[in-house]
Amino acid sequence: MQLSSPLVRRRSRNLETEGRSAMASSHSTRKASIPKAAAHKASILKALCAAFALLFVVAHPAAAQLSFKPTAEAVQEDKLLNALKEGDKITGRITIPDAMAASLIQPAGRDWRDFHRSKLPIIGGVAIIGMLALLAIFLMVRGRIRVDHGFSGTKILRFASLERFTHWLTASCFIVLALSGLNISFGRILILPLCGAQAFATMSTYAKFAHDYLAFPFMLGLVIMFLIWIKDNIPGKIDLQWLRQGGGILANGKRPPAKRFNAGQKGIFWMVIVGGALMSVSGWFLLFPYIPANVTTMQFWTVIHAVIAMLFIAGILAHIYIGTVGMEGAFEAMGTGEVDLNWAKEHHSLWVEEEQAKGHAPSGSTPRAVPAE
Amino acid sequence: MKVFLAALLFAAVAAVGVSIVLNTIQQPSYAAFTTGGARVGDPGNNLIGPG
Repeated sequence: MQLSSPLVRRRSRNLETEGRSAMASSHSTRKASIPKAAAHKASILKALCAAFALLFVVAHPAAAQLSFKPTAEAVQEDKLLNALKEGDKITGRITIPDAMAASLIQPAGRDWRDFHRSKLPIIGGVAIIGMLALLAIFLMVRGRIRVDHGFSGTKILRFASLERFTHWLTASCFIVLALSGLNISFGRILILPLCGAQAFATMSTYAKFAHDYLAFPFMLGLVIMFLIWIKDNIPGKIDLQWLRQGGGILANGKRPPAKRFNAGQKGIFWMVIVGGALMSVSGWFLLFPYIPANVTTMQFWTVIHAVIAMLFIAGILAHIYIGTVGMEGAFEAMGTGEVDLNWAKEHHSLWVEEEQAKGHAPSGSTPRAVPAE
Repeated sequence: MKVFLAALLFAAVAAVGVSIVLNTIQQPSYAAFTTGGARVGDPGNNLIGPG
């Protein structure tokens, strides 16, 4: 600071003079007063230390209470998790490339775990076992759906080689995916006690590999299936008529008209396409876990994957039933590709007429008398 | 039957092909999700290393 006033400068010089004289005076007596000064400084230092210690003891708990409560209750995990609201997370700072590892505690993870441990087995059990029970009851009550007029012996091409290839490609992958997926949800409960930990671990490892890699030909099959069958699976008014008559499968008698695919088959087609698409998208996030932005997104897609899978499996069980045990003459459509003309007329009368008009099918059938019972 | 077997064969070949491609273009998780300082030199036969 500059002192510009003459009065101030003079006063300043006086102060400097007084200061120098005082320093000279103290310098002359320094040797005599050193022991006394050191003792004085030591006492001041002790007082300062005591003051700081007192300040630390008094102030530290108060500051600590502002940030957290280090009591026995505060460190209990349940109370900590319950204190966190939906969507809250306790995160840390990490330097490894896996950004999701920064989430240390996430309460939503408990809900996700509970879902997989308690709700998912119920959903899967009700869907799959319930469907099997329904099909068994239906078979017992209705019996196998026969060809009312018997087999004619005349064949008509139902599915070409590419269609059957696509069907079996998708179906074979689906069966492995379903079994290996069910092993993830139920294997620990149902299979582990039967074969032991070592065998179960080995089997589950290979099942997981199969699940991961067969997902790709499955997705390819879905795409081809969609492209080659979409034109025959557009819902129309005739499907309403088919549905109103229950497909004619509830009792023997008149069958409702249908084109290449009836309403039931169209339902299966769209279930496979939509369900397969959801399984593919959700499965893609599980195959490549760094794609989801965070753990919550990952958990969401695992739930979607698991629930759709259970419903998908239940729906396909119905499809397998009606294509094999449930309906006489149906399996040949995907087995050899050719079906009996009478079977085709009963279940897809309009399609047979179209094929006959194109010259792809014989114009008449040879009805065989139903044997008397 | 030929079509069915062809579909099975194709599925198996496609799965193996995909596994080779993915294992070629991707790093194992113990290398992809760790830094050099934390990377295990020989992960061995455990959950984070090759089986």
